[in-house]
Amino acid sequence: MRHISVFMMVLLVTSGFIKAQESAVTGQNADENKLKISGELTSDERFLLSEKNDWAWNENRLTLKLSKKIMDRSRFYGEVWLRNIGIPSLVSSADLYNKGIVDPYNLEIREANVQLTGFLTKNLDLKIGRQRIVWGTADKINPTDNLNSYDMEDILDFGRHRGSDAINANYYFNGDFSLQLVYIPFFQPANLPVGIFANALNPAMTLPEGMTLKGFSDTLLMPQYNLKESSTAAFRLKGTIKGVDFSLSYTWGYDGLPVNTKNTFIPVDALGGVYINSQLSLMRTHFVGADFATGIAGIGFWGEAAIVIPDREIKMTTDLSALYPLSPVPVTTDSTIADKPFIRFIVGADYNFSGGSYLNVQYLHGFIHERGGDNLDDYFFMRYEKRFFSDKLKIAPVGGAFIVTDWTSIKDNYALAYIPQVSYNATDDVEITLSAAIFDGKGGNLFAGLKDYDMFMFKMKYNF
Amino acid sequence: MRTKFQKAIQTALVFAISMLPGYSQDANTILKKMDDVMFSPKDMTGKMKVVMVDKNGKQDIREATIQQKGTDKRMFRFTSPASQAGIAILSLPDDIMYLYLPAYGKERRIASSAKNQNFAGTDFSYDDMESKSYSEKYTPKLLKTEPAVYTLELTPKGPSDYSKIIVNINNTNDYPESMEFYDRGNNKIKTATYTFKKVGKYWNASEIEMTSLKTNRKTKMQMSDVMYDTGLTDDDFTVRKLKQ
Repeated sequence: MRHISVFMMVLLVTSGFIKAQESAVTGQNADENKLKISGELTSDERFLLSEKNDWAWNENRLTLKLSKKIMDRSRFYGEVWLRNIGIPSLVSSADLYNKGIVDPYNLEIREANVQLTGFLTKNLDLKIGRQRIVWGTADKINPTDNLNSYDMEDILDFGRHRGSDAINANYYFNGDFSLQLVYIPFFQPANLPVGIFANALNPAMTLPEGMTLKGFSDTLLMPQYNLKESSTAAFRLKGTIKGVDFSLSYTWGYDGLPVNTKNTFIPVDALGGVYINSQLSLMRTHFVGADFATGIAGIGFWGEAAIVIPDREIKMTTDLSALYPLSPVPVTTDSTIADKPFIRFIVGADYNFSGGSYLNVQYLHGFIHERGGDNLDDYFFMRYEKRFFSDKLKIAPVGGAFIVTDWTSIKDNYALAYIPQVSYNATDDVEITLSAAIFDGKGGNLFAGLKDYDMFMFKMKYNF
Repeated sequence: MRTKFQKAIQTALVFAISMLPGYSQDANTILKKMDDVMFSPKDMTGKMKVVMVDKNGKQDIREATIQQKGTDKRMFRFTSPASQAGIAILSLPDDIMYLYLPAYGKERRIASSAKNQNFAGTDFSYDDMESKSYSEKYTPKLLKTEPAVYTLELTPKGPSDYSKIIVNINNTNDYPESMEFYDRGNNKIKTATYTFKKVGKYWNASEIEMTSLKTNRKTKMQMSDVMYDTGLTDDDFTVRKLKQ
């Protein structure tokens, strides 16, 4: 009820703002206020390089971008995805009656918001509705970008987020300094990878000697939908001093990926077979962030860091009581997952060479899903590209990452992702991209786990 | 006797020519006058159409809006083609540049080495597009004076992709008529021809045609709907505006 009150108040105030503008701009050019539709059609096909060339990804996406200048200082923006995605999974004739299985599709409202510029005072901008709020100065991976939930559907498009329903206010003190306040009433967790990437983020499960896993299920405990449990709030102070852009931020939010907080073992036979039920929880988390970007001698430099502070100690309880029915007390063991703050950070640089070459390097400590100071891997990203024929052809022979999981034994704890790419603009609005992803590695890193999924990728994008 | 007469005539001619307007001007003054013509408006808004013509005559067209204040604040916003519509570039003093890509939803500080690249796939470099005055960037030398034009050689004061630029300046109205660009190996790589029209009290480069001698390709940059001194403020050249 209190949520509704807050939104009603905001709605009333903003509708008054728009109405006031309406009366002020009656003579305005009507063409400027028409609904504008643009977008893109993307076809993204991938298949494995292994013997039978199984399909790894099939996506045809129509992105519609709608924008409308409502009045002089207010604007509507919406972005919708209409997609055929996935490989049909038909197992019985009944599935043939279900068009959604024969030809999998989905619809997503990525953004739908109204932006009010100079709201109440000329220095305040307000955006209300579903929106992507991007924080951070690094490329693709931003440790300080914790407002929107991760969209991890495509693990190779790391850094992708979904939009959140939010109230987002920016107050500009002057051209150099601003303060941003964000409130997101409903928490939505990250969506996990699909298709062949479905298990990429799942940690390997080690069972005690003599036990065999016969079955598995899990229960996800979601925060309750009330003001205290499901809200996210954040602020960010942004500025520029002596040519250095910086920001400081704080987010009272959630780690969008669930944590395994309890495993219950249930014996299913006398030969050591067990069934496990896991309890997954989403943890309230504080993120204290900082970032910068600047240029020195023509080279661009950036960096950002987030101190991740669990709201409380995160423990995983293993309940073996069912295996020891005669024990007078429950048989449980606890192990700590995270009990103190840890830092994820990234630094990077880029340079444009004359003749159309571009080099971008980044070092990241702690990927999206890694938690706890001792569990963060080191990622070295690099991309070199060269453009030809007035930027129509772009070749990136070097692209990818080298990852170290354990510096004391690199040869057994590393991963390599090599992703060369060629893009060609067949016309001004049609881009065709061919690329490959080659993975290798040992140990428990996400990308080492993809080493059986080397793939060839074709993408066509048409903008309209 | 004849030789003395010839010398007297020559001396008189040199004296007479030196009295003509402009001849007595040194290279710095000539270049400063050209800068005054090109950069004297307080601010400018307009539409820009970039037509790229390859050696087979095939055309690619880009369109953008442009706003400029003084010589060191500029905002480009592409309006077509669809693949580039919405991309915006904000240039600020001290080589600070921001790029806004709608697909990423945030501004990105771009390294000043981006000036090494061609602008949006055209034959113009970011350096050519910069609105900094030529007097600030180049040291001029007067090469020759003809009835209608002065020819200056401009040598960069700082790091540049060019070893020199040869510029022909209209000596009546002080705007550039053509330029020749030489690479670091002193090879002529590009030529530009200018068409100026008067808009209000200012001369406006309504079309610049850049020809790449390497690729035999032309880029025409055409300005329209140009308005000067409309009262743009520093607030029009901020990251806030870039993202709107």
